[in-house]
Amino acid sequence: MRTEKRLTAVSYILLLMGLVVILTPLYLTLITAFKTTKESARNFFSFPTELYLGNFQEVINSNNFFQFFANSIMITAVSIVLILLVVPLTAYAISRNLDKWYFKTFYILLILGIIVPFQVIMLPVTKLMTQLHLLNRVGLIFLYVTFALTQGVFLYVGYIRTTIPKELEEAAYVDGCTKFRTYCSIIFPLLAPLTATIIIINAFWIWNDFLLPLLILNKAETYWTLPLFQYNFKSTYSVNYNLLFSSFVLTIIPIMTVYVIFQKQIIAGLTGGAVKS
Amino acid sequence: MKNFNRHAHYFFTLPALLLYAIFFIYPLINGFLYSLTDWDGLSKTHKYIGFDNYSELLSDGRIRNSLGFTFRYALLLIVLTVVLGVVIALLLNRVKKFQSFFRTTYFFPAVLSLITVGLIWNQLFSQALPAFGKAIGSEMLSKNLLSDPSWAFYGVLFVSLWQGLAIPILLFLAALQSVPQDLLEAASLDGANAWQRFRSVVVPFLIPTLNMVVILSAKNGITAFDIIVAMTGGGPGRTTESVGLLVYNFAFKEFKFSYASALAMILFVIIGLVSIIQIRSSSRYEVNA
Repeated sequence: MRTEKRLTAVSYILLLMGLVVILTPLYLTLITAFKTTKESARNFFSFPTELYLGNFQEVINSNNFFQFFANSIMITAVSIVLILLVVPLTAYAISRNLDKWYFKTFYILLILGIIVPFQVIMLPVTKLMTQLHLLNRVGLIFLYVTFALTQGVFLYVGYIRTTIPKELEEAAYVDGCTKFRTYCSIIFPLLAPLTATIIIINAFWIWNDFLLPLLILNKAETYWTLPLFQYNFKSTYSVNYNLLFSSFVLTIIPIMTVYVIFQKQIIAGLTGGAVKS
Repeated sequence: MKNFNRHAHYFFTLPALLLYAIFFIYPLINGFLYSLTDWDGLSKTHKYIGFDNYSELLSDGRIRNSLGFTFRYALLLIVLTVVLGVVIALLLNRVKKFQSFFRTTYFFPAVLSLITVGLIWNQLFSQALPAFGKAIGSEMLSKNLLSDPSWAFYGVLFVSLWQGLAIPILLFLAALQSVPQDLLEAASLDGANAWQRFRSVVVPFLIPTLNMVVILSAKNGITAFDIIVAMTGGGPGRTTESVGLLVYNFAFKEFKFSYASALAMILFVIIGLVSIIQIRSSSRYEVNA
């Protein structure tokens, strides 16, 4: 039993070391954001002597920070709503008709889409969006809904086939329900556990995504999302690193707040999504 | 109305079909067609040149260099993610006090965007590490390691792990917690030591998770883009130019659009092969597990 105790002690020590590795960059980011350049130059690691807010003021005043924040919220929220309208409905239709060639072919094409690396579509899709005059938020939302289809339909079809018996719908049809009514009032509510996972996976993906906004929105500054702002801010203000760090803090705050409040659901959702795909 | 209801399931798939056809299938086919031309991405005309782009790819040193970096990076990322992921999950599984606090903190990097993580570390490498190095009088740490060709690779790998380990750790932890306690006790009664218990009792429960983690980190590694753009921009001297970044650079910075399309197709084939191998080997394991 002695070795057991020793092993546990070693585990704590190693985990604490890991904690230091995870928290140090975040701590340094936070303290540097509150320091003037002079103070940082004197000692990068010391705690700020006063709560200097000038960096934050400058980041917010010299940029449309709140506009970018609003863009990120808008793009994420609208995409999620559309994903929830389209993905489970499609998956439901497919899962009930896998014996018909049309549904089966569509399903196979969607699943194959999971292994297509984004770089393959990236170039032609950017050309296409230019031709369609969709280099804007609407175009970006279309792309998010499309790319959410592959994994989303795959997860929903698996879920529907294993957990929702056909008898449920047949009873509804006998009562004179249309197929659409049946889906809306019986099936969709039953999918809630998976829907929570789908919301979390896609919301984090869209909120944090960098490459698609770079391709679709980079030329129009008013449409920028937070990751895009972060990237462009770095290229413009690379000299004043205190400003940079305060911009990091500003972009981390929203996601951190959400994480602190919903950590249980978020951990379950993000790991659950990985398990199911 | 009745007719609509009979075919309702077809209509249900219509929005998805349209989106998928226009924004996925059509570009995918187009991407292949572009790769057979000499288009620069801007001019009005282009001509068909067959597979010339592909044969040129094979003799392009920059691509070879980039593929070399990408494979080395992806391979190390997979191995280290699995090894460190399992080890940290074992540690977390062992401690009882503060377990949920540790879990919450270890998972936190997963919710941050890669571009922010990369930019933060880029700054820490250029500001904090040299300051630290000077303070402790280490010459090696007094410079920016990311601008040193032999160190940039490890810098990028380290940061990828800093962020990318979060989800695998929790997946492995969940798998560990699914190991039945009485099996472990039976094994120790039979005189199995810790290592034997781990190998013969715990590992079979980890294999499905292991497959998933390998797939996830392989895909992340082979298509790496955000982290490279944020940390090194492909430098110094193209030592960290991943294939994902190279496709972007060729197409949008150097106006070799069709050439970039051909490279993207190669990437597609590589990922396709990796997926097939993975699916084959994992179905073999599942029989055992």
